[in-house]
Amino acid sequence: MSNQSLQARASALRGGNVPRTPAAGTGDAPRGSLSDQVRFHDWFLNGLRQWWPYYAMMAPGLLFFFIWHYVPIWEAKMAFEQVRIIPPNIWVGWKNFQTLFVSPIFYQVLANTLIISGMKILFVFPVPIIVALLLNEIRNGKLRGVIQSAIYLPHFLSWVVIAGVFIALLSPTDGAVGQITQAMGFEPVNYMTNTGTIRWVLVISEIWRSAGWDSLLYLAAIFAIDPQLYDAAEMDGANRWQKIWYVTIPGIVPTIATLFILNMGMFLSADLNQVINMQNAVNASTIDIVDTYVYRLGLSTGEYALATAAGLFKAVIGMALILVSHLVSKRLTGKGVW
Amino acid sequence: MSTNARRTPLERMEYVLILSTLLLLTVFTIQPLLNLLALSFTAPENVAGFSGLTIFPDGFSLDVWLLLLQHPNVQRGMFNSIWMTATSVVIGAFFTALMAWGMSRPGLPGRRIIFMMVLITIVFEPGIIPDYFLMKRMGLLNTPWSVILYKAISAWYLIILIRFFEEIPKELLEAAELDGANPFQTFFLVVLPLAKPALATIALFYFVLHWNEFFRAMIYLNDQSKWPLQVVLRQFVIEGDKIAIVGATNANNNIGIAQINIRALKAGMIFITILPILAIYPLILKFFTKGTMSGAVKG
Repeated sequence: MSNQSLQARASALRGGNVPRTPAAGTGDAPRGSLSDQVRFHDWFLNGLRQWWPYYAMMAPGLLFFFIWHYVPIWEAKMAFEQVRIIPPNIWVGWKNFQTLFVSPIFYQVLANTLIISGMKILFVFPVPIIVALLLNEIRNGKLRGVIQSAIYLPHFLSWVVIAGVFIALLSPTDGAVGQITQAMGFEPVNYMTNTGTIRWVLVISEIWRSAGWDSLLYLAAIFAIDPQLYDAAEMDGANRWQKIWYVTIPGIVPTIATLFILNMGMFLSADLNQVINMQNAVNASTIDIVDTYVYRLGLSTGEYALATAAGLFKAVIGMALILVSHLVSKRLTGKGVW
Repeated sequence: MSTNARRTPLERMEYVLILSTLLLLTVFTIQPLLNLLALSFTAPENVAGFSGLTIFPDGFSLDVWLLLLQHPNVQRGMFNSIWMTATSVVIGAFFTALMAWGMSRPGLPGRRIIFMMVLITIVFEPGIIPDYFLMKRMGLLNTPWSVILYKAISAWYLIILIRFFEEIPKELLEAAELDGANPFQTFFLVVLPLAKPALATIALFYFVLHWNEFFRAMIYLNDQSKWPLQVVLRQFVIEGDKIAIVGATNANNNIGIAQINIRALKAGMIFITILPILAIYPLILKFFTKGTMSGAVKG
């Protein structure tokens, strides 16, 4: 890219101030005979003359994307290699994947990931929709603004902070939850170190973080609904719930569908940042997901090739999920993921 | 409220139900944070019995805050976080804008291909191990630049800016051209000033993203002296490593800072980490909310 813009700069210097022709660089240049080649050459130079400043401006960004996103794809070939302390690595084909697919722990982390993602789709996904529907019923703008400002906040906190808050909140002796349990006469449970409850801690903390902010997307869709529809419903004598059911919900179905599909595309992720901060020695096996497995295998145990293979497996399945999601979304709602 | 007069008792009850559900959610969201804030200001002698249900300090003391703010590890973490985040935001906002401007020009040869290449990076992420080896190969491991440059240009924010630039009226750009401005002058003197609100939004996005980054910092930075605040916080609160804040001698002999309840120190540490987010929260509300709302409305 830089080479091209250098050439462009040189040609621009040679050519001096060439008046810009808007047609240059738009049409396809015909190729073939000698005169056609000359015309192609002109077309190419004209295009460069017109566009090199834009390529120059894009160059740092393009370089960045190449290094940070495309070189790692090349690095991922390690998944097919045996890593040796003294290079070069040896090409072993699918061997690492075979090792992976016969190891019980891989299926355990895969199952954990699917269970946690499934629970989040079932129990986290609907909450912001309900919150948006409720917020829309608050006609007092000031009051609604206060509630919104409060419930949006956790979205902007890191998972380290949120995990810290939840460890304090769920502490059996000092935390609010433990104290309420005690006041009701029950034995307090440490939900953080209980394998039966830790997945629910993931669900609840995700609700705590995202229910408010995600409702904004639905609220925006609700505000975009034509007010005349509500007037018409009112004329027909619809009450609050009928208006929600027959006007509001149909109005936000495309948004719901898009976000649902986007969530499905993230099914194999289950949020590394959340899990890694909620994990402790006791609950680790219950919430160990593919990403934490890759992290531990690669950066703690030093099983680089195997970890890369697991990561690549997740990346490929994840890509398929997102692409299918995107196509389904386009088909159903006319709106893609991006 | 003129509609109030026409409300039936049933409707009023429904409203109360809706409002109380939302207020419950608000309390559930805010109370745990206020509780920790109160805990960090509670007098040391009352910390042991401090209830998780209150939002008011029991007695008042600045001990925790003074201690943490004077602690070398916290100060270093703060310094690292601030300069690393600031650098990331400036680099991110500037180069995202430059690239978005080029990509937003209709007729740019190769525009579709570049767009596809950017989208592929959203869809396909080869994972943390290849990233790690890339950092190693570039010699960036254990330097702040590994964290600063990682995700310095976000594909999502790039797309947002492209969409914004596409909306700039063509007449304005043509007018600048007629005045003899070259593409660089047009960008810096016409487009950037026009894009101020969008750039501010993107800068805020980047600020939140980078301030909250801990995972990359955790795996790329070995030296504790290079850690940003999030990693210091994680070491102390999540990993329960008291030594990082209290110091080995103090912890063993239960002297000095170790006498302050660890719970209060953790609460204070959490708040020190989110202080900048809280400080710009009004701005976040203004820009993020507006951005999301208008984006969704336009479809």
